[in-house]
Amino acid sequence: MTTSAGSRAELIDALTAELIAAFEAWPGKGSSWSEAVLDEWAMRVFRLQIEGIPTYRRYCESRGVGPEDVRSWREVPPVPTAAFRVVDLIVGGPEAARLTFRTSGTTQGRSARGRHLVRAPELYRASLRPTFRAYVLQEDVQAKIVTLPPSFTYDSASSLGWMLDDLRTGLGAGDGLSVATASGIDWQALASEVQRSLDTGRPLCLLGTTVGFAEWVDRMERDGGSAVRLPEGSVAMDTGGAKGRAGLQRADVARGLVGWLGLSPDRVFNEFGMTELLSQRYAAGEPPLPLRGPPWLRTRVLDPATLDELPDGDVGILSHFDLANAASVCAVLTEDRGRIVGDGIEWIGRTAGAPPRGCSLATAELLEARQHA
Amino acid sequence: MLEAWHLPGLTGAPAEWMEGRTRTGKRFRAPVLSAAEAGSVADAVLQATLAARRERTVEQIVNEIARAAARLTEEGLDATTARELLRAELGWSEELSRETLEGMGRAWTVESLTRLVESEFSSFAVLDGFVTDPGWRGAGRRSRRAIGPPVVLQVLAGNVPGVAITATIRALLVRSGVLCKLPESEPGLLPLFARLLAEQDPILGRAVAATWWPGGSFPAIWREWTKWAGAAVVYGGEHTLESVRAALPPDTEIITYGPKTGVAVVLPDSPAGAATELARDICAYDQQGCVSPRLVYVVGESVLAFVLTLAAALEEHTGTNPPPDPSEEEAVAIRAVRTAFEFGGYEHGRTSVEAPGDALTWTILIGDDDSVRTESLPRVVWVRSSPSVTSLEDVLRPLEGRIQTLGYAGTDGLEKLAEVGTRLRVGRVAPFGSMAWPPPDWRHDGRNQLLPLVNWTDFEVPE
Repeated sequence: MTTSAGSRAELIDALTAELIAAFEAWPGKGSSWSEAVLDEWAMRVFRLQIEGIPTYRRYCESRGVGPEDVRSWREVPPVPTAAFRVVDLIVGGPEAARLTFRTSGTTQGRSARGRHLVRAPELYRASLRPTFRAYVLQEDVQAKIVTLPPSFTYDSASSLGWMLDDLRTGLGAGDGLSVATASGIDWQALASEVQRSLDTGRPLCLLGTTVGFAEWVDRMERDGGSAVRLPEGSVAMDTGGAKGRAGLQRADVARGLVGWLGLSPDRVFNEFGMTELLSQRYAAGEPPLPLRGPPWLRTRVLDPATLDELPDGDVGILSHFDLANAASVCAVLTEDRGRIVGDGIEWIGRTAGAPPRGCSLATAELLEARQHA
Repeated sequence: MLEAWHLPGLTGAPAEWMEGRTRTGKRFRAPVLSAAEAGSVADAVLQATLAARRERTVEQIVNEIARAAARLTEEGLDATTARELLRAELGWSEELSRETLEGMGRAWTVESLTRLVESEFSSFAVLDGFVTDPGWRGAGRRSRRAIGPPVVLQVLAGNVPGVAITATIRALLVRSGVLCKLPESEPGLLPLFARLLAEQDPILGRAVAATWWPGGSFPAIWREWTKWAGAAVVYGGEHTLESVRAALPPDTEIITYGPKTGVAVVLPDSPAGAATELARDICAYDQQGCVSPRLVYVVGESVLAFVLTLAAALEEHTGTNPPPDPSEEEAVAIRAVRTAFEFGGYEHGRTSVEAPGDALTWTILIGDDDSVRTESLPRVVWVRSSPSVTSLEDVLRPLEGRIQTLGYAGTDGLEKLAEVGTRLRVGRVAPFGSMAWPPPDWRHDGRNQLLPLVNWTDFEVPE
């Protein structure tokens, strides 16, 4: 039985409210949800998604999957991330969107940026905050949160900007600070915060991109300053990876933060997120880092050729299921390589573009050559 | 471990090795040569070439080449070795390996090589010595002789298997010796052929040297070999061509074979069976060839009707001739392009995809969406419609000079299609079923195969 648009909106809003309550009730890491609980959610959410997103419905139908066919989160047909570059996947259509996030187009160029329309920012927040508290910054640590990347104010298409703004304003003592300016990071302001933390003994929670932290470490090395030891309870969290920068290794950046700021390695966190997903995973320590997340975010590792699920430990393509995506699509097939490590995942990297084989012409190569000429 | 080298003149066991892997993970190795060793190899090739010039006629060279090449294709231990080589290096099936070797081998027979030489020169004689020019209108007489440079440097970076052999044969036919940089993708076949040639004819076998080093690097061997080369023949993508050109001495003549694509046109009166023939062309060389069709235009009839028959033909062909697994990158890229066409179609109705479910053995992208570009992905074709043959000229204009073969099925508008092909500087207009297998005397990249290598000497004698 299909549902009218009006009642569908009510249903998704009611479901969102239930999910928010469930997320907020999660006691934190060490506590998981049973497969049965997740499957129950998956069935309910999937039904709404294929009714509310016509393109997703057709995608599922072409694979012989209808609303009654899914009994487990594992059976929900995953949508390749490439779809976000072509269509809007949101229950109720683009007019229901309250936020629009764009992918960075790191590997495909800016022209191939996808977008993720968010119907319920409060659901995103309900996933974000408990997970961050569980893995990065415990509630009882009154650290000052300092964010390095441009905030949502400067880049209103950035899910990262929105996320960091929310953490900065919503967690800690509420006195967080962004050291981003329209033209980049205010290094002087950042240095002042570090000094203030050293002077007052209040821990710092530094949130930034891998690239931004790399630049900071480079500057500290170049300027030849002295290493410091941030107060107990301080943490740093980087995200985003090398973004195609040659020679940039996340492990080097983490080591730089440990060395210059006196953080122990297990207080330097790496965040894994995607514009197409509203939940995150976190890791700390030495590689291979098991990235762990909330119980409503699950990941399968699939054979790239067959999409069959691979045994734990085998490297394949990551396919996520995220209930925070309830109003878009929960099951997302990425272009990332990775594997299951313990109760988390290891993200190995984005698959490179397929190199041309033989002497057959890749149209892209031709176009590039002609533009070059 | 595969030995990816054939280096006459190299004395003693190599002290140092370099290792590589093909995309299937097959390990191979080649010796690291000092400048002196590379020079000894080049000198050995030169001396053998000069000896062949003294002691062999071109007809004899043709016979020896054909005998060695036949051992790769005619049933026997060497042919088995060659097929096993392709299977290991490329992950190809036995059937695809056999089909490719047999297909290429048809161009390596005495008949085919004779046809090639005679199509570009009046006869073998002009490569053996001076031949009187009957067209001479001046006083006395004139005779002419053609010969290649003593040493040709070959760089194989992007090519289908067997092309290294074809390139080597071309050089030998114009009496040149060969120094060859082998491709990482398939480094084994030319050394095998060179060994067979050496068994057949030790002089010719020593006129060919081949080895591998990592692409993009120009080690001591490169610097030494470029000093000996009178011409360079380079196969590869745009970046390879550019970097090799920059790394060659400025006075080295360079002949390049860049990437090309194949376009297939279904004319309104295309016969039943056209899709089957096209499927065979698509699947040849696992669609890696510059002759492989990637774009299909259906003129004036239902695209979907043709797509369905092509889908059935591809399914049947891949059933009997299974493709290798795509690489992880290829799998992701195929899914991405399928997704763009599929979701794009749900959104605006102009595109769709035909494929065997989530399996990646073949993919037909259907419809018109200029925002999506095709890549050289295995067994992926893009079928579009065209209102007429003449309108193809504008549509294909961006590919001008980059279409190796324009395939066709049917006769309605065929002459116009050939005219369009001429204006687009297409190398060959050929029926489905023969797109992937050009005749021995075809114009590769629209050019002669042997003539670009030779220098002519006119010998004028007054009465």
